[in-house]
Amino acid sequence: MSSVDGETFPERIIGGRFSEWLDRRVPPSEQITLNQRNLFIFPTRTGFVFAGLLLLLLLGAVNYQASLVYGVAFLLGSLFLVTILYTFRNLSGLQLELVGTRPGFVDEDLEFMVRVVRPQGSGREGIQLGWPAGIMQWAELLDREADTVRLYVRAMDRGYLRPGRLLVETYFPLGLLRAWTWVDLNARALVYPKPIFQDFPRARQGPRDEGELMDPFGSEDFRDIKSYQPGDPVKHIIWRSYARSDEVMVKQYASFIEPRLWLDLDEVSGPLEERLSRLTGLALQATRLEREFGLRLNQLKIPPGSGDSHLETVLRELALYGISER
Amino acid sequence: MESPKDRAQRGIAYQIPRNTLALLMVAQAVVILPYLLHLSPWLIAVGLFCGFWRTRVYQGIWDYPSRAVKALLVVASIAGISLTGIKSFSLEAVSSLLILAFALKLIEMKSRRDAYLVIFLSYFVIAITFLFDQSILVALYELGAIIVVTAALIGLNQLHSQVRPLVSLKLAGALVLQALPFAVVLFVLFPRISPLWSVPLPNSATTGIGDSVTPGDIAALTRSDRLAFRVIFDGAVPRYKDLYWRGLVYSEFDRGTWRVGPELPVPRAADPLPDAAETIRYSVLLEPTFSNWLFAIDRASSDTRSVRKTRDFRLEADDPVLSVFRYQVSSNPQAALDAGSLPAYLRARETSIDLTSNPRAAAYAQALWQETGTAALFTSALLQTIREQEYYYTLRPPPYPSPASIDQFWFDARAGFCSHYAGAFVYMMRAVGIPARMVGGYQGGEFNALTGHMVVRQYDAHAWAEIWLPEQGWQRVDPTAAVAPQRIEQGLSAALSLEDRSSLSLFTNARLGDWVLAGSMLQLLDSIELRWNLWVIGFDSNVQNGVLSSLLGDLTPLRIGIAMALGGGISLGLVAIVLFWRRRSLPQHPVERMFSAFALRLAGHGYPRAPEESPAGYVYRVAHQVGLNDAQIGGLVAELNTLLYNPGVAWGNAELKALKRQLRRLQFRLAFGSSR
Repeated sequence: MSSVDGETFPERIIGGRFSEWLDRRVPPSEQITLNQRNLFIFPTRTGFVFAGLLLLLLLGAVNYQASLVYGVAFLLGSLFLVTILYTFRNLSGLQLELVGTRPGFVDEDLEFMVRVVRPQGSGREGIQLGWPAGIMQWAELLDREADTVRLYVRAMDRGYLRPGRLLVETYFPLGLLRAWTWVDLNARALVYPKPIFQDFPRARQGPRDEGELMDPFGSEDFRDIKSYQPGDPVKHIIWRSYARSDEVMVKQYASFIEPRLWLDLDEVSGPLEERLSRLTGLALQATRLEREFGLRLNQLKIPPGSGDSHLETVLRELALYGISER
Repeated sequence: MESPKDRAQRGIAYQIPRNTLALLMVAQAVVILPYLLHLSPWLIAVGLFCGFWRTRVYQGIWDYPSRAVKALLVVASIAGISLTGIKSFSLEAVSSLLILAFALKLIEMKSRRDAYLVIFLSYFVIAITFLFDQSILVALYELGAIIVVTAALIGLNQLHSQVRPLVSLKLAGALVLQALPFAVVLFVLFPRISPLWSVPLPNSATTGIGDSVTPGDIAALTRSDRLAFRVIFDGAVPRYKDLYWRGLVYSEFDRGTWRVGPELPVPRAADPLPDAAETIRYSVLLEPTFSNWLFAIDRASSDTRSVRKTRDFRLEADDPVLSVFRYQVSSNPQAALDAGSLPAYLRARETSIDLTSNPRAAAYAQALWQETGTAALFTSALLQTIREQEYYYTLRPPPYPSPASIDQFWFDARAGFCSHYAGAFVYMMRAVGIPARMVGGYQGGEFNALTGHMVVRQYDAHAWAEIWLPEQGWQRVDPTAAVAPQRIEQGLSAALSLEDRSSLSLFTNARLGDWVLAGSMLQLLDSIELRWNLWVIGFDSNVQNGVLSSLLGDLTPLRIGIAMALGGGISLGLVAIVLFWRRRSLPQHPVERMFSAFALRLAGHGYPRAPEESPAGYVYRVAHQVGLNDAQIGGLVAELNTLLYNPGVAWGNAELKALKRQLRRLQFRLAFGSSR
């Protein structure tokens, strides 16, 4: 659910100039207290209709010379003015702070947690916040003094998502006026590439003799000589040795699984974004399989590791590959 | 940039919260209630039906009416209104239509816009009530109604789960009461303009004396205790029998009915009124008559703007009196009217009579004229006849059908009311060529000792005669004084028989006055109502000018503007003080404050907190950088999260101190590397 009726005056009228002016008027800050410096207030369309009603009443009062019709018109007019104070007060003194963000993948909703704290005293109600790209959410400050509002913004591209200025608005109490502000909480959240999942690759055979023995028959690296046992491939029999002694010896070949998977940008195919997506998918799969893995993005090399914080580091690099903002 | 409206359209369609809907329906009922007496019963039935339907929808039993049903209801109702015979464009028609729209809107009210429409309509209907009645009780009721409607408006702007009707009502009450001071400032200062165009008038309101009198009309008026006007005398109150409130002059007689003649041109230099010692000064607060005539004691003049004198020495207002109208009068009872000569056209007008309509009365008058010979003797002979022969004063005379109504009254039944006597008297005067006319107005009044003003009610309505004598000019002759002198000296109830008095309704002052306690209660109410009329309802441009001149001196637009700004500044400033006074900035959450300080110190050591980082994320990151693993700081993070975000957990200073110690340790570690 959202606003009563949607003017974005004066943004719509002033346009681009407005945001420049706004940057000077309400500079970006992680925490901001709303006051007369950064709050705007203007009648809504309903407010203008109400004003028209007052004019009509005044006209009736003049033509019928009815004192109490004047009285009603004046009382409602005065009510309108008092409402300006109430609507403004509803936002004034609120503290907004970005307390957390949850990174996500492209095409996911990213979560931003904005904590709203009201001054002590009477409760505030009918307050909504949201980014232009998201859905407005209510802050519930009637019975408590602080509320953490979770806002979601759909991520479109990898890298940092900056949802921009946050709209905080209220129509309370009468819907005749709208008080609002655009605050820049310096909000940004990291967007990881959209993962592409594929078959987990067969591990490459590593040259060093560490790790687990892999398929003992399929490899070509010589490892050892042992006595023949039934089932050993015939082609591994060392016939020369058999000629010298009775013992039938077989050559043993082996290779070892390289347990530390290297995710290398150069070893996946496709356009850049697709390659990053594949690596993202691999990193997620490896973590799920509890495998150690490292990342190689051209010069950048993250040594193999495992666990959630390692994954976070890897995803961060994937997200920010080729992006200057850190 | 996407506008909020787009977002609204993308979001779920707005549904009026159930509590708000309940409040809206209560508000509508409250607003319609005062109209119940004015509306035709079938309109009330339509309203109740719509209300019932909406309640069923509200309970989820019925559905909203279909488009066809709605169209049918609208067409049927409009046809109903026109069939009821309400004059089109009259106030009744307009208010009936409004009420109807109101009721029909009820059953299709779904969106927020519908609800706003209903609320604005409610404010409008409240204002229209005051075209019918502006008494203090109605005003208080409608103030309450405005609060209820405003509460419904508040309900529309609350989160569904937070709509609490009683809380909304309280807030609405506060808003309206805080709006009152500036409303009063506007009421006093806002310039009153004269009507821009003429408007349809309520046609039910034409009670009181009219521009024609058929004997018997005034008798019907005596059953009404409605207020006619109040009078505040500057000096002593004249004797009761001198209180003849002259309002209308009836010069034409036709088929038993006396009518006001066509208006006469006023001579340019209306002779000035000599200022004499006996001049009575007073102001009148006239209740709405929806006509121009005003009531005053002869011979009246007025300083009030928009009051003019007529050729027959009455006072008239420039515009019909639609609301309580206050005017100042100076009356000189000794001043002569048309003394010396009567213009020929006037003489013709005031002597014209159809002698054939009541031949017996005409013959009787001419025979009496033969005996007496002079106007003075003729008059006293007629009055003596009334006094000494068997004539009766009664509210319930037998019917006298026209045209020979005067004959039947005078010779046969001999029972009648003031207008019968006055009518017969004027007829016989004219029959012998003496200029004479009937005068309508009020006689007497009730003195309210509490405030010292006089209250004149409809049952004080009276008719008498004026005859023109060459030396004295127009002279008042009241034949009723001959048949019922108590009527003129003490008022109606004294002159009536017991039988007649019982025919008056119970609550008229004429009857209630019999009980002392009830009488003084009524006087108190009347005093309150007088002040209300004086300072609120009767506050028109004349009163306003007087008040403002004494407050501001010269009335320039600039001064009024300054006064308005000053009044607005003070009254709204007071509201602002109430709203903003006690507010101190809330000390941040203690844990949050501690953590911000911690982050600030760490930034000093080269570990700044990124904007998007949550406290937990930040702690993890910096801890990892000095080689601490998740297990080592998991406890700290869990505790931090609990204290920050879980409002359900109670914690005190001990927990706070423990957390602080842990943060200190972590800071130490970061400051001096991971070696320790």
